[in-house]
Amino acid sequence: MKNIKGTVMLLLLLPLLAMVLYACANTKSIAAWHPVEVEAPAICSKCHTDSRSAMDHTEDYGTRHRFFAMQNSQTCSVCHKEAFCSDCHAHKEELKPSDKYKDSPERALPHRGDYLTQHKIDGRINPASCFPCHGRQNNERCKACHR
Amino acid sequence: MVVRWTQCAVVSALVLLMWPAVAPAVELDGTSSTYLISRKALDDSNLLPLYEYLNMSVRDIGKESISFQFGGWLRYDLRDDSTNKNTKNDLSYAYLSYRHAESNAVVNAGRVMVFEGVAAERVDGISARTDLRSGFGVSAFGGAPVETNAADLGGNNVIYGGRVSHTMTDLYTIGLSYLKEEKNSAKFREEEGVDLWLKPVNKVELLGKSTYNLEASGWAAHTYNLLLGPFAQVKLNTEVSKIDYEKFFVGTTNSAFMFQPGGLIDPKEKVSIYGESVSYELSEKLNASVDYKKYSYDIAGNAGYYGVRISYSVPKSMATGASIHRMSGNADRLSYYEYRAFGMKKFGSADVTVDLLNVKYDVAVNGVTNAYTAVLAAGYELSEKLKLGADLEYSKNPDYDKDVRAFLKLIYRFQSSYGKGKGV
Repeated sequence: MKNIKGTVMLLLLLPLLAMVLYACANTKSIAAWHPVEVEAPAICSKCHTDSRSAMDHTEDYGTRHRFFAMQNSQTCSVCHKEAFCSDCHAHKEELKPSDKYKDSPERALPHRGDYLTQHKIDGRINPASCFPCHGRQNNERCKACHR
Repeated sequence: MVVRWTQCAVVSALVLLMWPAVAPAVELDGTSSTYLISRKALDDSNLLPLYEYLNMSVRDIGKESISFQFGGWLRYDLRDDSTNKNTKNDLSYAYLSYRHAESNAVVNAGRVMVFEGVAAERVDGISARTDLRSGFGVSAFGGAPVETNAADLGGNNVIYGGRVSHTMTDLYTIGLSYLKEEKNSAKFREEEGVDLWLKPVNKVELLGKSTYNLEASGWAAHTYNLLLGPFAQVKLNTEVSKIDYEKFFVGTTNSAFMFQPGGLIDPKEKVSIYGESVSYELSEKLNASVDYKKYSYDIAGNAGYYGVRISYSVPKSMATGASIHRMSGNADRLSYYEYRAFGMKKFGSADVTVDLLNVKYDVAVNGVTNAYTAVLAAGYELSEKLKLGADLEYSKNPDYDKDVRAFLKLIYRFQSSYGKGKGV
């Protein structure tokens, strides 16, 4: 039964795929890599006046980068490799990003210092801020106490 | 569709085997990060784990448009009393990518990371996106979810979803997205959402997302930021969020988020968060900011987080800063002051970092109110590709009277002579 359902789904998806291909914009894709080297922190508005100017990597960019990533991840990949994201957005991570990058103290990396104690307070105040990273992934260490 | 370690290893091997044949066109670059850490566990046992993180990308495989991305880590315990022996490696991502020259069309297959509207997932499967005519865009993904405990469940684990968007250049992007996940052959999550970027006039931007939980039949969260400025050197960032815990924390593999009636957090709690941040660019290098965030709970009362920060940085040369923040919870035991000062300076091929962090709890935890951490780190670039680093962290906190951690790292950036690796 499952196979029939899968086959029907596939047959429905194929014409949809054909329609998508027909409807493709056929405009030139953005560059795979930024054509000139960008010095960190990237202030995109120095050169771009369009929507990319909103992506200035100012100090508070860390709090809102998720909005750009969920709408426009291909623009992120012009400068960042996947490893840059997975440093923090990990599946099973044992090292804090702030430990791996102690030589970059200016970066807004989470959980500096003794976060073991502090998380008991921050987690009570706003557990929703923990959830995106530890709700379904990267929570094996949580199980030591949260059984 | 499920990609496991062995399959990824096979793909990696195939790519490497293919390499000589296509070598003139291939660009290979990546980073090997080796870490050796010495510290004590809470039970006073000594830990000496050695980590190897490998991130690699092979581009222009045969065709300019095809690449392979790989990232993973491996831990080897050099002392027998290290903990967590059950987790010694992880595959972060490994996928073949096809990137079309037109329409920003991309297809990724393998262990992929998907960030599309309501989806922020890691999937063993396939993801694809393309621009359509007239400003429309579409993306879709599907496969097996990569989540903690997923392998423990015997049934069918499937995740799929997609996003449709419309963009009017320089004015707005709006997206509608959908996600469904089955775990152990039963519905686990079903969400849909709206995401928005809007710039009605110059210096005014609104961006955010609303998520509707179809499984719990209600809005789980609304999170929006309004950015104003710069006006002279001043920028304002206003955040407004509303979160319904009963709808938001559905579908978790972590018991920390499975709130029970009568527990520390009420499962029917709702919170409204209002935040304001004002930053003032005193010069291109010197920045000062004030931030405030108010948490208004339906059940628990109110809390606030506020503070000031000042920083001075010269790219590739130095960075220094200091901040003071106050967490004011709805009870004394949920309140603390946080002080931080840091500095990093490069001296030719060497760099030195000092980072000091002090947290003062209003109510003592394990008899301790004053917790602090001091970090001294140094690095030396042996060559353009090779960097050696070492740091020492001293900490006194509610869990450790004296915690000393040593961290050695060797970072090697490699790239083929055929091309030049780019990006970070």
